[in-house]
Amino acid sequence: MNKSVPVVKVLFVFCIALLVTAVSFFPGFADDPGMQNKVIFGPGDDKRGYESADYTTNTLDLQKRIGKEADLISFVRQPPLGLPPVPVPAENPVSTKKILLGRKLFFDRRLSINDTFSCGMCHIPEQGFTNNEIETAVGVEGRTGKRNTPTVYNVAYFNKLFHDGRESTLEQQVWSPFLARNEMANPSIGYVINKIKAIREYDGLFEEAFDGRGPTMETVGMALANYQRTLNSADSPFDRWYYGKEKGAVSEQAKRGFQLFTGKGGCSACHLVKEEYALFSDDRLHNTGLGYKESMRSGSGTTSVQLAPGIFTELENTVIQSVSRAKENDLGLYEVTENPNDRWKFRTPSLRNVALTAPYMHNGSIYTLRDVIDFYNRGGIPNEILSPLIRPLHLTDSEVEDLVAFLNSLTGGNVTTLVTDAFAAPVGDMGKDDPNWTHENKLEY
Amino acid sequence: MKKMANLHARWLQGTIASLCVLLASVVGFQSAAIADETCMSPYMAKIVGQEDYVYIWTLGKEGVGDGSDKLVTVAVNPESPHYGKVVNSLSVGGRNEAHHSGLTDDRRYLFAGGLDTNKIFIFDVHTHPNKPSLHKVITDFVEKTGGMVGPHTMYALPGRIMVSALSNNKDHGGRTGLAEFTNEGEFVAAHWMPTDEDMRGAQKVGNIADGYGYDVRVLPRRNVMVTSSFTGWSNYMMDFGKMLGDAEAMKRFGNTVVVWDLHTRMPKKVFEVPGAPLELRCAWGANNNYCFTTTALTSQIWLIHEDDAGEWHAQSVGAIGDPSQVPLPVDISITADDKGLWVQTFMDGKTRYFDISDPFNPKQTYEHQVGSQVNMISQSWDGKRAYFTSSLLGNWDKTGDQDEQFFKLFEWDGEKLVHKFTVDFYAENLGRPHQMRFGAYSLYSQKPNSEGTMLSQRVE
Ligand code: HEC
Ligand code: HEC
Repeated sequence: MNKSVPVVKVLFVFCIALLVTAVSFFPGFADDPGMQNKVIFGPGDDKRGYESADYTTNTLDLQKRIGKEADLISFVRQPPLGLPPVPVPAENPVSTKKILLGRKLFFDRRLSINDTFSCGMCHIPEQGFTNNEIETAVGVEGRTGKRNTPTVYNVAYFNKLFHDGRESTLEQQVWSPFLARNEMANPSIGYVINKIKAIREYDGLFEEAFDGRGPTMETVGMALANYQRTLNSADSPFDRWYYGKEKGAVSEQAKRGFQLFTGKGGCSACHLVKEEYALFSDDRLHNTGLGYKESMRSGSGTTSVQLAPGIFTELENTVIQSVSRAKENDLGLYEVTENPNDRWKFRTPSLRNVALTAPYMHNGSIYTLRDVIDFYNRGGIPNEILSPLIRPLHLTDSEVEDLVAFLNSLTGGNVTTLVTDAFAAPVGDMGKDDPNWTHENKLEY
Repeated sequence: MKKMANLHARWLQGTIASLCVLLASVVGFQSAAIADETCMSPYMAKIVGQEDYVYIWTLGKEGVGDGSDKLVTVAVNPESPHYGKVVNSLSVGGRNEAHHSGLTDDRRYLFAGGLDTNKIFIFDVHTHPNKPSLHKVITDFVEKTGGMVGPHTMYALPGRIMVSALSNNKDHGGRTGLAEFTNEGEFVAAHWMPTDEDMRGAQKVGNIADGYGYDVRVLPRRNVMVTSSFTGWSNYMMDFGKMLGDAEAMKRFGNTVVVWDLHTRMPKKVFEVPGAPLELRCAWGANNNYCFTTTALTSQIWLIHEDDAGEWHAQSVGAIGDPSQVPLPVDISITADDKGLWVQTFMDGKTRYFDISDPFNPKQTYEHQVGSQVNMISQSWDGKRAYFTSSLLGNWDKTGDQDEQFFKLFEWDGEKLVHKFTVDFYAENLGRPHQMRFGAYSLYSQKPNSEGTMLSQRVE
């Protein structure tokens, strides 16, 4: 009897370069020996090294994802080293009651049309408050989002929110995901408010936090803004070296990287670093060519698809198209202004905690920091309206490595605290006291 | 040949066990003999002869009819005046990502899960087999299980339904578990899959303990439960084409089969089975201590089998089509005599018949183009009838002209499939048909006076 196992006719790729890349994917993760810290620095379902046939799991257990409440308001009152005072609108001062209410709302999956999506399902705490596992977001009913989920660390400091900068305050911003058909897909503002009113766990919470005011379009936005305004993360090794004057806080390589960042690399022209603090963003929008490239892509050719650890195959794009729904192009700021000069302009993200927020750029198309720097080194993607600040940099290999080391020194000292605090937040799911919205008319429509 | 010889050596011991199983089923249901689809729980009541109805758990699609998920009932008894026609359609509201369904051991209720909304719809199929009704909806599956998402397989155990989940409410990834409910839909217990951080007493045989889940099957004689592994919500709900182009997402597939102690519900061994092992089918023969699974991405047939010493093993025993083209084997069905395995490949729309008389050396002996895409199969116990449906997942189905949505019956004469009828689910404004389960009047014939009433209700 022939018992020879038929060999899979696919490509087995053992690429050492990929392995090296994988290790640099979540560098903070690799540095931390304690289980507690592992949860904080990457997905609990650890897929580093998956390219290789001898990939070994290091899977964390969800039953052991245990939280610890933090004094969140302290991060607004006294932001960590390297950050300026937190701008707080006069009409929405911070309070612990509002913060806790906002945190509860942030992780409540019932606040979507079919009880499956909270803000925290896309902005996942241990994944840098973003989603490390997919390039662009997927919302209610699996609907495609064309953009990568950005982190909500340090969002308090932006005046232009979203990749296209279209929103101006955190209070207003929340209504975009609540109502977007491809995010939480609520049919109306009133629907969200009515649902909150029908969930008994919220009884009295708004009234206590807002001087007797119940859930309204305004108070919901204010509570969520309060929570997000506490997620300020700095006091990184870089901050302790540069602002704290601790000589040994970063490696010599990272120091060289910083020189390149502000010098030959020209990075700080957009990712600003000030005397007193650094936000690593100019809060403005630029065309690096990435959006242009995606809009002008061609459908022909093949795509390399990974099937299992160490097993890849080349699929014809026509095969992939047979199971693809139409894809929207992303024109960036142009979608807000309709000015042709604004095509493919995206807002400069902060680089704080950048080691934790892969995959990168507005479309999640770049997976590692090394690849981001290679992208800049090549001068981005040339197009008619490319930012003049993007040009070939002629960085050597070791200079590129220096820059990577610098970016890896930007992970905040309070990440563990903020993430374990988020773990302590209740995840809102349909419980026995919640009405079966679909089969009982408890929302009185 | 050694392994096979060993398997045969266990024949006597196995025969006694099988006699007991047979006796038990005969005592429990005097009218029961042999007839039923072949992939169901051994604890389940059997149908006599010809099935009367097929219940099709159907995904709603925006723009098609009411857009809602529904349980569609088709009359399939050639003696019915409505043979091959839809006799009932029951909308449950919403698009829940209708996927798998399973009957309780007494076959009175059908549990049907929504992979997206985590609802479990419990239908009464015994009061009026031609017109099921919605008996109860479980809305708090996620809360009750402590965070499992995506109720998938609904598998009958005595008085219980074992539900395998696919995902979780923390990151919508693949880490998940099993949940046990009573036949009344009351939550009993959660059993999380073993992970590196907590193996729950299991042995990690290869390099992988991903904690993922998909199907669940049991071999009661061997006190064994087996589970397989697919992917989390983010992937199974994502546009298929988008996912194939997302290298990060493609790392989030299951690569494990877990063998459990059925009675204690404790995992024993975690096997490395690369490339998303999906459906599990355990052999029926009393001396056949093995189950099959196929890997969706790597297109291999795997045998999960027990050796003489009582140790379990997993090994790849064959390829399906050309794995480099990713034919995507989805549903499989084992014949009642353990001699054949039907395998559907979604991408090329084919069904393939493998001779598995030698389970270590399956041989493809037949293939047939069922449609432009194909997913599920249900065959009658005698293997003479095979029903097929087309839909895989709401956002994975093909687009444009290739998005055919059908329910088809073929007769199998041992050599070829002969087409009997097709119900076009788009033309009928129903949606995308997925899981099929059989219903028959003969099941409930012990009820006093029920036979006559039931038959007269066949006016439909
Ligand atoms: C389906 C996934 C998803 C959900 C759910 C979601 N977000 Fe987001 N979030 C995104 C994506 C994608 C973007 C970028 C969108 C864009 O640029 O158009 C974003 C952007 C943001 C931003 C702007 C960040 C920046 O740097 O400009 C904030 C703040 C934010 N989300 C907060 C929230 C809050 C609060 C909720 C819940 C009410 C929420 N998100 C729900 C995916 C999601
Ligand atoms: C012209 C302004 C500009 C310059 C100069 C610039 N960047 Fe950027 N950077 C951006 C913008 C805009 C984005 C977002 C692009 C997108 O979303 O497609 C970005 C994105 C990034 C990201 C990805 C962050 C994330 O969370 O996705 C990294 C890392 C980065 N830049 C590092 C650098 C480095 C290192 C340099 C210098 C070599 C540099 N940038 C130079 C504007 C600039």
